[in-house]
Amino acid sequence: MKNKSRFLAAPFTVWAVGFTIIPLLIVIYYAFTDNETGGFTLSNLAEISSPENMKALALALLLSVVSTAICLILAYPLAMILAQKSVNQTSFIVLIFILPMWMNFLLRTLAWQTLLEKNGVINSVLSFLHLPALEIINTPGAIILGMVYNFLPFMVLPIYNVMIKIDKDVVNAARDLGANPLQTLTRILIPLSLPGIISGITMVFIPSLTTFVISSMLGGSKILLIGNVIEQEFQQTNNYHVGSGLSLVLMLFILFSMAVTAKYDKDGEGSLF
Amino acid sequence: MKKFIQRFYMGLIFLFLYAPIVTLLVLSFNSSKTRAKWGGFTGQWYVSLFQNTEIMQALYNTLLIAVLAALIATVIGTMGALGINHMRRRSRAFFNGLNNVPILNGEIVIGISLMLLFLACRMTLGFTTILLAHITFCIPYVILSVMPKLKQVNKSTYEAALDLGASPIRAFFLVVFPDILPGVLSGFLMAFTLSLDDFIITYFTKGPGVDTLSTKIYSEVRKGIKPEMYALSTLMFVTVLALLLIVNLSPSEEKLLQGSGNGKKNLLSPRRRRLIFGRVIPAALAAVILVGGFYYGSKTRLDSDNQVIVYNWGEYIDPEVLDLFEEETGIQVVYEEFETNEMMYPKIKAGAVAYDVVCPSDYMISKMIDNDLLAPLNWDNIPNASNIGDMYYRTSQQFDPGNLYSVPYCWGTVGILYNKTMVDEPVDSWEILWESKYRDSILMQDSVRDSFGVALKYLGHSLNSTNIKELTDAQQLLITQKPLVQAYVIDQVRDKMISGEAALGVIYSGEAIYTQRENPDLEYVIPKEGSNVWIDSWVIPKNAPHQENAEAFINFLCRPDIALMNFEYITYSTPNEAARELIQDEDIRDSHIAFPDEAELANCETFTYLGSQVDATYNDLWKKVKSS
Repeated sequence: MKNKSRFLAAPFTVWAVGFTIIPLLIVIYYAFTDNETGGFTLSNLAEISSPENMKALALALLLSVVSTAICLILAYPLAMILAQKSVNQTSFIVLIFILPMWMNFLLRTLAWQTLLEKNGVINSVLSFLHLPALEIINTPGAIILGMVYNFLPFMVLPIYNVMIKIDKDVVNAARDLGANPLQTLTRILIPLSLPGIISGITMVFIPSLTTFVISSMLGGSKILLIGNVIEQEFQQTNNYHVGSGLSLVLMLFILFSMAVTAKYDKDGEGSLF
Repeated sequence: MKKFIQRFYMGLIFLFLYAPIVTLLVLSFNSSKTRAKWGGFTGQWYVSLFQNTEIMQALYNTLLIAVLAALIATVIGTMGALGINHMRRRSRAFFNGLNNVPILNGEIVIGISLMLLFLACRMTLGFTTILLAHITFCIPYVILSVMPKLKQVNKSTYEAALDLGASPIRAFFLVVFPDILPGVLSGFLMAFTLSLDDFIITYFTKGPGVDTLSTKIYSEVRKGIKPEMYALSTLMFVTVLALLLIVNLSPSEEKLLQGSGNGKKNLLSPRRRRLIFGRVIPAALAAVILVGGFYYGSKTRLDSDNQVIVYNWGEYIDPEVLDLFEEETGIQVVYEEFETNEMMYPKIKAGAVAYDVVCPSDYMISKMIDNDLLAPLNWDNIPNASNIGDMYYRTSQQFDPGNLYSVPYCWGTVGILYNKTMVDEPVDSWEILWESKYRDSILMQDSVRDSFGVALKYLGHSLNSTNIKELTDAQQLLITQKPLVQAYVIDQVRDKMISGEAALGVIYSGEAIYTQRENPDLEYVIPKEGSNVWIDSWVIPKNAPHQENAEAFINFLCRPDIALMNFEYITYSTPNEAARELIQDEDIRDSHIAFPDEAELANCETFTYLGSQVDATYNDLWKKVKSS
């Protein structure tokens, strides 16, 4: 029985090879071939070294690191608070975080435009209170806000899921043994919730790094991130080869950063659920 | 005190998460068509929503794809998780890694890699490709949610069932499956939600005529979202919220459980709740899809022999015209929109999707002729083409020598739209767009040729310049202007100018009439240095599957009454002289914005195609402007 059960994974394997591995090989093929002649070339990958592409990549890295950090700082205390609640309440609260997804992602991002604009809702409120106006729309700040807004639930849920599994007795024991709240946090809670933090970082960092919608909607098309550059290569310039080359570079960056974080995540315990 | 801080903090996060949702909710009751201003309370969008077949069709596609993708992904994923769980340690680690690949790739890489795969397999991009792509990115989430539950399953109960004589399959469904069911259900729910909300992957794998809500919204973003869309998302949101509340707040069962006073039993309730939640929603959705399927299935049966696939600019036709055409000819219209010439061209060139009739601009038409992408028109099938003024055919010769390929549809100029309350000085030159006092109040076009056209004209050059010195000068000028620019936009100029977000915007003349109607403070000028005069014309691609239907479509649009309907809807100047005669409103018939005379157009030029080499130079220079 044990040996046969393995074959239940066959459809999954076929699917993963057909729709994940082979497509990636095609991307790699495009990345290493020339647009005109079809011969082998490294020039598509070298495109990344042009100043504007470098800038787009650097900016994307910067903004996604910042928004991941903000998400973590916002989500961790929240997950702690949620984890204290009784089970009855929390399943409800957790759904509250998924619920906004039922309103389309583009519409939610667009709504931030309405909120943040110079004559937008927030500034109307601020001017009513005689407070200085918020001039954030079409700046990197607005893009970070959009990223944090869209991806915060993906940080909260994995941390929360690890947090509820932490044995309360361990925390109490630490207190009894004289640890102050800060020590309990840094020596007990954070190490124990690390898998959740890692998977939260993954779930926020990758979509932030690769987005092109948030940057074009909230950045006024003035700010190009690496995602925008790739999207333009595919949908406007129609140069699949350069686009694939840049995607490959982007994937290398993701793999590299994930390899760094994966060192801390030994068992892969953290999950969204 | 601590409690208060906690509550306050949660409240803030809550506000942050739900502020945009409330905004959309409010907008769905806004009687003004633009999101730029509040026009009073109305419920009309909730009524017109159900008459809008395009949105309902997109909703139907979205739900159908989400249900199918989630179902298939749940089956494959659950089986996969079971299989992986029975593997030896090393292969288990390998398969877990394989499962994580799509998550680690980022949506954009999944999207493009699948698009390349489908193109390589010569699959027509459409419903099937979207579905396959969605299944692909849903499977990992199902596996991730089933796996932890599988680890908790007690193996000895399963073995006990076998010992007691149950067959392996029976033992699995009786003993193991109930234990992992919560994981399976939450995997399904997660897959369903992600599929429903996905834009990026759908964007790369969709074809013409198939839209999900996301892609429909994306194509509307540039022009301003139709209010019905807000109404629809509000309805969807409220439905889910209501379901959630009913399931969570129905106390009867829980009280019974709590009455027994056993803490362990209490733990069962969220699971049970999730069960109900997992059943109620699919059941409700199944009902909606069945009903919707019957309704729209009867309405939009695809008859591939008798259709015409139209590829047009966003908001560039009166939808009623399409209905009339279908009614009169019995030819079914498959309608698809694009935002810029540059986005349209690769689609036609790649040939993965065959369109019957397309509406590009002048310079793009000559590029398409040069690349042998167009079929010559059979003018005998388009008798109404004689309604188009001779002057327009003469201008068309610049890009379509001999008038073989194109029938003019709309024309106009590019100029400056400004807000009289925000700009005191007279506006007659492009110079004002470099005036530092209008910092952050200037809107530029997010398109290569339009932006370079402005800079080149300001410098006194031709906007078809191929001189590298002139081009780099123009590029420098655009770079110095960038700090003053509020945003590079396409059709959003409309909304932003109406709401007074910006003082000055570069805009097509056709938008001027509409924006003035909404905000009388706005004024349109063609700067004295001259500008671009453009013509958008209908052409038929060489690989068009239904050329005769396409000609019938063009002919229909050239009928004076139809051309008039279109003009009144889109407010772009019509080259149809017979239609112009029919315009009732004298102010518009003789408007200098809509129909400038030859003197006003003295310095204006049309764009011409400059060859792929120069094209690449333009693109390169523009990219540097954008990333400066």
